[in-house]
Amino acid sequence: MQTICDGRSGEIQLMQGNQAFARGALEAGLSVVAGYPGTPSSEIVENLAKASTVRDIYVEWSVNEKVAMEVAAAASFAGLRSAAVMKQVGVNVASDFMLHLSESGVRGGMILISCEDPGALSSGNEGESRPFAKMFEVPLLEPCDMQEAKDMTQWAFELSEEIGNLVMIRSVTRLSHASGNVKLGSLPEAAPKARFKHWGTLMDADEGPVTPVPVHYRHTLMQEKLKKAVSRFEESPFNFYEGPENPEVIIVTSSACTLYSREAIRLLDVKDRVGLVKLGTTWPLPPRFMEKYLSKADIIFTVEEVLPFIEDSVKILAADISDRIGIKRFHGRGDGTLPTINELNPDLVAEGLAKILGMEYRPVAPAYAELVDEAVGAASPPRDLAFCAGCPHRASFWSIHNALEMDGREGFVCGDIGCYTLAVLPTGFSTLRTIHAMGSGTGIGSGFGKLGRFGMDQPVLSVCGDSTFFHAVMPALVNAIHNRAEMTLVVLDNSGTAMTGFQPHPGLTADAVGNEAPALDIAGIVRAMGAHVAESDPFQVEETRDKVLELIQKGGVNVLILKQSCALSPEKKGKKLFQVDLDRSVCLGENCGCNNLCTRVFKCPGLQWDAEAKSARIDEVICSGCGVCASICPSGAITKKEVA
Amino acid sequence: MATQALAMDPYNLIITGVGGQGNVLASKLIGNMLVDQGYYITIGETFGASQRGGSVMSHLRVSAESIQGPQIPRGKAHMVVALEPTEALRVLKEYGNPGVKVITNTRPVYSLAVVCGDSPYPAMDVLKGWMDKLTAGAWFIDATDEAMKLGTAILGNVLLVGALSAVGDLPLERDRFQEVMARTMPPAKVEMNIEAFEKGQSMIV
Amino acid sequence: MPIFGPNELINDVIKRDLCIGCGMCVDICPYFENYKGKTSMLFPCTLTQGRCNAHCPKTEVDLDALARFCWKQPYDGAPLGHFERILAARAGEKISGKFQGGGSVSALISYALTQKIVDGAVLTDAEGIEPVPRLITAPEQVPQCAGSKFIAAPTLSAMNRAVRDGARRLAVVGTPCQMTAVAQMRMNPLNREDFEDPVALTIGLFCNWALNHRKLVGYLSERMDTSSITGMDIPPPPAEVLVVKTTQGEERFPLDEIRKLIPQTCFLCPDMTTEWCDVSVGMYEGRSGWNTLLVRTPAGADLVDQAVADGWLQVEAFPEGNEKALSGAALAKKERSFRNAERQGLLNPETGDGRPSLRVPQTVLQRILDAPSR
Repeated sequence: MQTICDGRSGEIQLMQGNQAFARGALEAGLSVVAGYPGTPSSEIVENLAKASTVRDIYVEWSVNEKVAMEVAAAASFAGLRSAAVMKQVGVNVASDFMLHLSESGVRGGMILISCEDPGALSSGNEGESRPFAKMFEVPLLEPCDMQEAKDMTQWAFELSEEIGNLVMIRSVTRLSHASGNVKLGSLPEAAPKARFKHWGTLMDADEGPVTPVPVHYRHTLMQEKLKKAVSRFEESPFNFYEGPENPEVIIVTSSACTLYSREAIRLLDVKDRVGLVKLGTTWPLPPRFMEKYLSKADIIFTVEEVLPFIEDSVKILAADISDRIGIKRFHGRGDGTLPTINELNPDLVAEGLAKILGMEYRPVAPAYAELVDEAVGAASPPRDLAFCAGCPHRASFWSIHNALEMDGREGFVCGDIGCYTLAVLPTGFSTLRTIHAMGSGTGIGSGFGKLGRFGMDQPVLSVCGDSTFFHAVMPALVNAIHNRAEMTLVVLDNSGTAMTGFQPHPGLTADAVGNEAPALDIAGIVRAMGAHVAESDPFQVEETRDKVLELIQKGGVNVLILKQSCALSPEKKGKKLFQVDLDRSVCLGENCGCNNLCTRVFKCPGLQWDAEAKSARIDEVICSGCGVCASICPSGAITKKEVA
Repeated sequence: MATQALAMDPYNLIITGVGGQGNVLASKLIGNMLVDQGYYITIGETFGASQRGGSVMSHLRVSAESIQGPQIPRGKAHMVVALEPTEALRVLKEYGNPGVKVITNTRPVYSLAVVCGDSPYPAMDVLKGWMDKLTAGAWFIDATDEAMKLGTAILGNVLLVGALSAVGDLPLERDRFQEVMARTMPPAKVEMNIEAFEKGQSMIV
Repeated sequence: MPIFGPNELINDVIKRDLCIGCGMCVDICPYFENYKGKTSMLFPCTLTQGRCNAHCPKTEVDLDALARFCWKQPYDGAPLGHFERILAARAGEKISGKFQGGGSVSALISYALTQKIVDGAVLTDAEGIEPVPRLITAPEQVPQCAGSKFIAAPTLSAMNRAVRDGARRLAVVGTPCQMTAVAQMRMNPLNREDFEDPVALTIGLFCNWALNHRKLVGYLSERMDTSSITGMDIPPPPAEVLVVKTTQGEERFPLDEIRKLIPQTCFLCPDMTTEWCDVSVGMYEGRSGWNTLLVRTPAGADLVDQAVADGWLQVEAFPEGNEKALSGAALAKKERSFRNAERQGLLNPETGDGRPSLRVPQTVLQRILDAPSR
């Protein structure tokens, strides 16, 4: 098996950004990594999991990001080098611990890698986590390409150990999921030994207890650590200037935006007019370095995503030293030169720069643009997001949706995060009516479930996946039970963390590396909490619908576990439960009695409408053999036969 | 650093298709062939919803001079290699220009909107007509059919890499391909892939 | 008769609160369901014409078209509808068992099944207080479905399910609204070439009103343990109570409270004795243990005569005075309902939006509305 450990020092490989982060951590002598699956971060842990088969490292998919950071911190306290890996929203979950960790300090080098998703390509939000570095006073690094991803990770560990605090590295989708040339370094031989030194006094940072108390003492230490980091930043090769001696405009940028900014300068052919200050260390800003280059021009254009984080820091710094550098004019997200939402790309930066320079940027001739618009409108049918063929969620939401319609009291479902989040769309019959963070469905359901006293008689449901259950739903469920909320939680147990790439979780029998692990039983846990528990196979749609109907008439807190593995899971791939056939002569199609139920409403990709034959048909290649369509077909045209 | 300069630097190649067609594999394959020759390669991927019926797009930037950004600017694609024909058109909307070239598979992958009867799928000659209007050159390859003859539909992506090689804008020789295959594939599969590559080359006239 | 589709059904019936939950639109297709008395549409249907709307007894019911189909003559507004004979009747010696009333319906259905005049009967069973539509094929299962169900039940969904499963030669027992729906179905209003009439025998029940399922269950749940309910009865005046029978005895509830649970749509129904069927059966006021029975069609006449001859049914002459009283009550219901419908713009509208619930020939309507009220 190929792993990121392959390749000698000095060799150049085409590496994914996340692989580069992982390789950098290994080259720094990482011993422990913990994370929670989240796009675009997951490949870091996955690559390290593969590497752990040939190197002595511990790799864990923790139950949630807070615990992941705590697990990594423990390794650091014991003198090992460790990393916590997550997407931007994971940092929100870990933030309470992160605050206290920064105040207590670390021992072995520890880094947090936060992979963010500007543009919400795989998220339900455009949040970012850089402000946490400022809030919790830890150094923040932003690599701009794959080589830096590796090199800065390595350096981050050194920095962390030197100052005795966590170092945060921030990546974005366009870096984590991009690939590029990386020159490899060497992997260390030594395997450090773990020992937690704790017998010193409370004030002993190296061998005493690891705590944020006494708070004022530790807070002072923390700020001194940050100052030390800043002095390293002043000399760092990851901050540099490129461009003319006397530019008209200075672009201040970091991360992938560095590459967009360079490209924008090239697209407008203004490299003699525009200079670029590339920052790799973005909190705190190194003031001497910044002063040197801010004084070169009167116009400062900050290019970053998503918040004007660097922009605001630059403005504050410039205000502080305005007597030395003069008054500047600032452009960026604050004044509308760049859009305030969505991710950036070279065109948006070029448009902004062109506006500042009084130029025009027109990348596509209007005639061509019009023609291609027409072409796409005429000949490029849309590709909607949909559940896969054989997805148990389609069947689950079919049953839940129908039960709610039949019940007729305007009941609703509070959604959560996973593949099933798509049920806010027609693919899930638009059943979800709220979606927020991990575990929020049940938290909000617990709240709705108490509003009966104010006259609300609508049935309240929430859904969650098996991984989400362990991550954040359990405390919310405890809350509902103890506070006697009236609600029903439906656990959609498809045996994996599917949306992010089918990683394992505590409900399964394997760990991150594939070793056997004890599986926790969701039904048993919920029963012990004191909720009424029912189970059903979501592929049995009528039975499931009736169970939902029964539970929403009942009072109290009910939990319905719908167990059926994901269509993409290893045990399902390539194997059909049923051979499903469609008899065209029986199919009612557009007529009264059917009105294209399977292709127009149920909409499984395996079912196709043949407009010429005026009948549905099954695509053998796409059909996964779940048999649900046979249960819902009103004419009996679709039949299923168990496959041996 | 690189063995030969490129006609256009950076050279902007887009590989597009629908999830599951081997889009990422093809882009990595080409990338590796070129890194081995000393080029700076950046591949930017958009595959968030690929597993669930969505479009997939890889932006491959090749340069002899320096590292490029992961997103090709609007209207700046030099070549589009498409595993699915309507995806080629979709890519041209953002990245096309009168000088762009397209190599596309002809096998449709129907979206949900099409299979459930909401949207019609265009006829092949309509698609060809649009591509001829919007490009400086377009090649239509039955990559899936030929791949199935060689053993499996997924080889379609390798066939298209072969076709790209034959067009000649990038140095993607057969021997280079074999080296990368030997490094990344189990030995049993290498032969089949080389056959597919050569078949793809032969389909460019 | 103009034919419309499911969206008009939603707007004209369900949204106007006219739905009685007869079940005619349920289980013809996957889109309509009835759960605990409430009819709902699970998903939108794009058809502009459908059997759901065409068969529905609460929209576009053309009484004249029905009369011409059933009796080959125009609708004349006769209070008791078209009939050949009116009799007093009760179950004969061949069918034993204690019946709430006369047991005539159970007798006729059991006889029809036994003699294989029909292959199955669509009846309304009950589980406690919940009515359960059922297809019965064994005569010995008929008595369990006996007894008045005051809750409006989706009985016809069982008919639809049975027909989908291939059943033919069915008997259907139902209320006036239900049998109006069945009659419309038998007219094949969509002119389907593949239409086969699955119904061989129809028995209608007398009905003044029914009770809303959810409202009744809600009312009773607040006052007693509904899980022990075995049946219900409304004794003849001057009792003015609803009697609920339980495993522990009987509970009584004032009828004036119960009347608040009547769906408004019942006050728009002009049919008290079920005019569109082979045989109609109801209470015989003043004579417990006997039914009033109307023979309407030759098929109905054959059934009754044979059942009597074979000892399954007992009949006697029906006194003229009682017939007059019954007529008077039926006319009062017709008049009241036509007036309500007219007032709400649901009767024969000439213009404007909204399709009519009922179409009645103007002359007949005038005669009934102008007649001196009792």
